[in-house]
Amino acid sequence: MHKEPSAREDRPQWTSSSIGSSFQHNIFYFLIRYGGRGVSYALLNCVALYYTLFRPAIRKKADYYLIRRFKTKNPFKKLFHCYRIYVDLGKALIDRAAIGIRGPEYITITSNDLGGLFKLIHEGHGVILLTAHVGCWQAAMAQLRSLNTPVSLLLHREEGDLDLHYYEHTGVSKPFHIIDPLGYMGGVLEMMEVLKKGEVLSIMGDRVFGSDRKTASVNFLGGKVRLPFSAFKLASATGAPIVILFSHKSGTGSYEMTLDRVIRVPSHLGKSEKEFYPYVVQFAETLESYTERYPYQFFNFFDMWENSGRQ
Amino acid sequence: MTVKEQLKKIIVEELNLEEISPEEIEDDAPLFGEGLGLDSLDAVEIVVLLEKHFGVEIKSLDEGREAFRSINTLAAYIEERMPR
Repeated sequence: MHKEPSAREDRPQWTSSSIGSSFQHNIFYFLIRYGGRGVSYALLNCVALYYTLFRPAIRKKADYYLIRRFKTKNPFKKLFHCYRIYVDLGKALIDRAAIGIRGPEYITITSNDLGGLFKLIHEGHGVILLTAHVGCWQAAMAQLRSLNTPVSLLLHREEGDLDLHYYEHTGVSKPFHIIDPLGYMGGVLEMMEVLKKGEVLSIMGDRVFGSDRKTASVNFLGGKVRLPFSAFKLASATGAPIVILFSHKSGTGSYEMTLDRVIRVPSHLGKSEKEFYPYVVQFAETLESYTERYPYQFFNFFDMWENSGRQ
Repeated sequence: MTVKEQLKKIIVEELNLEEISPEEIEDDAPLFGEGLGLDSLDAVEIVVLLEKHFGVEIKSLDEGREAFRSINTLAAYIEERMPR
């Protein structure tokens, strides 16, 4: 039998804590409310430039991905890429807030195959949306309201995370049910309950929460990363199809939600890395393809890669 | 074979527990964490196994939290709900 890893071993490499202060966030919320998108983006460009030029410790967190994606060691090109990704992250955060502050109609969200998602839901086994920290996932979640099916989201919010979810600006009820991965049994019983009711469960597939035991080591952007396979285990146990769903900013005020791939996992798989490896590979390939198309909309600011000299 | 004995056999065989036999599992030892050492993915599997072998569903988090404490509580849960 294995032992549960210690808290230290369980500590994730990433954090969802906000960089800016509450006051700085409120400035942006004020501008969104009374100035709109253009003014907010203008301030964002200044903030992004400041962080690019004068905050090397924070810039380093973006470099892990940017160096692998753009394969450049030219310091000026690295600065440019860093600035671009900061701007796109900032736009996603501004747009997310704008949905709540100015209303859903302020942002246009389209989908390439919402009808396909409807069909999968009607199979009656529930649907697992496997997504990632790309584009504006909350915009995608807002679009899912049109499904008229309850949506649950696996999400842990750290104490230092100051960014408000879009619905928190309006004071309306949450558009989705949140399941905390730090809850009882990692939330798996709640997740199974959701799927048994034929509802939609959304899980981020690009970050490891907890120990490495429930992960598979797969290729991603020229190196090995560990990605979680719990979603595939749930799919195997319940018969729920997995839909890889990403969103990207497609215009100044618009996002597109893309159903990139449907994965069917056979029933009765065990719980070893080997059994789930082929499915995690499919997710990693789809995510890598996303970074090729939208290189500045991938928002994982930590060293995802194994054996890359992390201390 | 009692429900407890069946449960222990199923858990050892279906979860591939190699370092323990069904007889060694104590009735009141915690199933998860420090006790038998099962984890959340095993919980998923147990939910499936209960349906497959006993025709019993765990329908909610509250039901699962109570039932998953030990072999004793899980067996009691099954016996209460097992189709006659």
